Amino acid sequence: MCGINGIVAYHSASSEPEEVELLATRDAMRARGPDGSGAWWSPDRHCALGHRRLSIIDLSDRASQPMTSEDGRFVVVFNGEIYNYPQLRTELETEGARFRTTSDTEVLLHLYARHGAEMVHRLRGMFAFAIWDQVQHCLFLARDPYGIKPLYTANDGWTFRFASQVKALLAGRHLSRDPEPAGVVGFHLFGSVPEPFTLYRDIRSLPAGHTQFVDAAGPREPKPFSNLSELLAKGAANAVPVAEIPERVRAAVLDSIRAHLLADVEVGIFLSAGVDSGALLGCMRDAGQRGVRAITLAFEEFRGTSEDEAPLAARVCDHYGARHIVRRLSQQEFVEDLPAILDAMDQPSIDGVNTWFVSKAAKEAGLKVVISGLGGDELLGGYPSFADVPRWRRRFGALAVVPGLGLFARTLIGRVAPAFSHARPKALGLLEHSGTWAGAYLLRRGLFLPNELPEVMDPEIAREGMRRLRPLRCLGASLKPDPGSDLARVCVLESVHYMRNQLLRDADWAGMAHSLEIRVPLVDFTLLGALASSIPAITKGAGKAALAAAPITPLPNEVLTRAKSGFAVPTGAWINSVVGDAPWSIGHKPESKGNVSRRWSQAVLNGGPLTKRPLEVHAS
Amino acid sequence: MKPSPAMLALVTDAYRGRGGIAQYNRDFFEALSEEGLLSITVLPRQAPDSSGMPETIEQLQARPGRIAYSVAALRTALFRTVDVVFCGHLFMAPLAALIARLKGAKLIIQAHGIEAWPRPSRIQRTATERADLVLCVSRYTRAAVLSWAAIAPDRVLVVPNTVREVFTPADGSAQRAALGVEGKRVLLTVGRMDSRECYKGHDRVIAAIPHLVAKGHDICYMVVGEGDDRARLEALARDAGVSGRVRFLGAVGLQSLIEIYRAADLFVMPSTGEGFGVTFLEAMASGTPALGLGVAGARDALADGHLGTLVAEDDLQDAIARLLAAPKPDSSTLAAAARTRFGRETFAASVYAALNRLM
Repeated sequence: MCGINGIVAYHSASSEPEEVELLATRDAMRARGPDGSGAWWSPDRHCALGHRRLSIIDLSDRASQPMTSEDGRFVVVFNGEIYNYPQLRTELETEGARFRTTSDTEVLLHLYARHGAEMVHRLRGMFAFAIWDQVQHCLFLARDPYGIKPLYTANDGWTFRFASQVKALLAGRHLSRDPEPAGVVGFHLFGSVPEPFTLYRDIRSLPAGHTQFVDAAGPREPKPFSNLSELLAKGAANAVPVAEIPERVRAAVLDSIRAHLLADVEVGIFLSAGVDSGALLGCMRDAGQRGVRAITLAFEEFRGTSEDEAPLAARVCDHYGARHIVRRLSQQEFVEDLPAILDAMDQPSIDGVNTWFVSKAAKEAGLKVVISGLGGDELLGGYPSFADVPRWRRRFGALAVVPGLGLFARTLIGRVAPAFSHARPKALGLLEHSGTWAGAYLLRRGLFLPNELPEVMDPEIAREGMRRLRPLRCLGASLKPDPGSDLARVCVLESVHYMRNQLLRDADWAGMAHSLEIRVPLVDFTLLGALASSIPAITKGAGKAALAAAPITPLPNEVLTRAKSGFAVPTGAWINSVVGDAPWSIGHKPESKGNVSRRWSQAVLNGGPLTKRPLEVHAS
Repeated sequence: MKPSPAMLALVTDAYRGRGGIAQYNRDFFEALSEEGLLSITVLPRQAPDSSGMPETIEQLQARPGRIAYSVAALRTALFRTVDVVFCGHLFMAPLAALIARLKGAKLIIQAHGIEAWPRPSRIQRTATERADLVLCVSRYTRAAVLSWAAIAPDRVLVVPNTVREVFTPADGSAQRAALGVEGKRVLLTVGRMDSRECYKGHDRVIAAIPHLVAKGHDICYMVVGEGDDRARLEALARDAGVSGRVRFLGAVGLQSLIEIYRAADLFVMPSTGEGFGVTFLEAMASGTPALGLGVAGARDALADGHLGTLVAEDDLQDAIARLLAAPKPDSSTLAAAARTRFGRETFAASVYAALNRLM
């Protein structure tokens, strides 16, 4: 896990990149890679690559980056892990490749030399990398199918820049901070900034599952190489009998856990009292891990109450012979860390606070790598959205397609019952948005709804942002081809929007701020491929039950039972106490259930409640 | 042999035309036709001059009227093969987009300077968003287009202006003698004096002269170009008591222009509205150092300060004094550096690279 960056002065008119910029961007990512740093310049000095290293596989200096191929033609900077690199290495050696290191980075160089851009289809893992070709004078970039690892790019028409973080690109001091209305609007709609946009017009994300070339005319349009909907559609065409599902889940999860344990350092786990992390801990033992250190985040004010996850997590630890570390968090620590959290938050997000503290605990324990159960809910139908979205489609979909009806109803109710309208803005949206999967999903996940935007931000930014973002079209496009079942459709929507733009991004910045690599075995394209034909047949609760039964010694029953009611976290109340009196100024306070998230979103966007330097969001 | 793809170019002016946009269009078409990449038909709005057509490019009769122009463009498109539509000015973008759609052709829209900076009409914006490529002369213009157009940034490329090969460094002393400026420190601005735009910055240079003279520089400011703002600038020079030091030379022929560039000590154009600022390049290709404000397209022409000098407006007087006091840089080194970045070869290379995106 690392931080990567680079500058390519591709245009014949452009000047050589400045070393001070390369290093400023690179070293803004010091926390991503505290174990070493490197820089590489092409002989004509028009391409420069930077790298900060967190050593996990092949800890020697030989594996430092940027890494050059033996013939000197290709140079790579890489952030991530290639879990199938031992197999790839064996294959490559059979074909005559010679290796100088035992790192997965070197595999990328050999694969690219042999297969070019097609190499990405062979990789299993989380990755964002760039390879410079000295002969063709072009840069190749790629990002993993789920978008676990970030990669941001900027092109000013002469010079192309990339880095693992938005704030690192800004630290280079060559890019403007002009706001991107689509990013600002997207953040208000979803609570995170939807790729490929960022908060800044000059900076974009390379979309997940895409590759991109940069040649003499600059960056070419990114090309997709993987598609979750397509994989699930194929699965739906060959759906398996329900009876086979538990065995398939067991085999696929164990296979993924085995792959994700590849490391030359200790691998720990984030353990809650839920099914996902508990089952993964059980599978870690099945994969041969003994005495795994498991970190549980618990809250001082819940100590001794039924809301405390720690006792049940401790039982799971005992069950699988793991060593338990309980980290108690208090409101005071939360408040103290808040400025650092907002500083580490690469792009605004309404979540990620819990991941920050559990990562902090892992770092305190001396861990560099942990397994996380992130992705279980998206894969196995764990969220309420898996029931709600299809139900809303069935109940309200037919009415919602009547043109103007939703708008009429919303306007009417807004006039005759304004209190209801403010208290339940989403209920009003049912008739307007349930006509499509995209609309119903937006309604389920939306922080604010499109019609509310002019109340919370500059109406001109709202209008322009909606035009540039086209949220419904963008959500709808992710469902092509049709994944073939209700569960698969919601699985795709949750995976490529909420999980990608929010959960995975939060795991990246919150983990990296503590120099911690968070591995997510339930977010794995190979695993999804193995389960694609099972997903359409999973009924409510059956997915999690199958996961709980995946370890040879299944999870204790009470975990599955308790998980259904869920655990509370006090961070919402803490946030409320912090932002409640905050002097944020845009618009009025919408009254609704998601009130805290909504106010928190404003505080985050304005640089946090504790700072005095608001981000200027205005029409440009 | 397969015929090369056909481009229909809708432009304000190109051959037999005057000014920077006409020059850019000619450079662009010639770069394409030299390699036989495309067969090009040009439909101009204006073509006031009587000569100057190359053999390889067909230019149709100019149609100044808006309706007549649109009819001619549609008729031409109807009866010919059109694979690529080149739109040389944003205000023609809706017409160009329509023809591209009718013919199933690729659409290239060219953006120069101030016409592309503010948000255009909705119909022009929609047409721009349909383009397969938007070519911009500078990074600034590109950023401006991206601020109002919802278009993939990878389709918006920079193809900067180029400098003609006639501008070369040489001894300017004969021209200095002819102009009677021997022994003086000669400042030069080349550009239109437009009373509506007033952005070239002549005023700022005139205002700096008393300060420079006070510092001991025997200044002569030569102003080349026409325009209806001249009388105001002349009055300004009178009011500042420096009318004897400001020479308005009007429009000059190409050969005179070449020699005037060589005769100057410093080319200075503190403009705030350059799409690119090709005259900076012409000066530097003639071996004369150039000074501008770090604003808009001038940053590109002066290569962020690597080729010429960029200053903030408040520093202009001091910067002129500093540059006049410093030894003049080696003219052939400066000319070669300007040509390396913006010469014909590099221009052609960036045109091919851009076109390569379409083919």
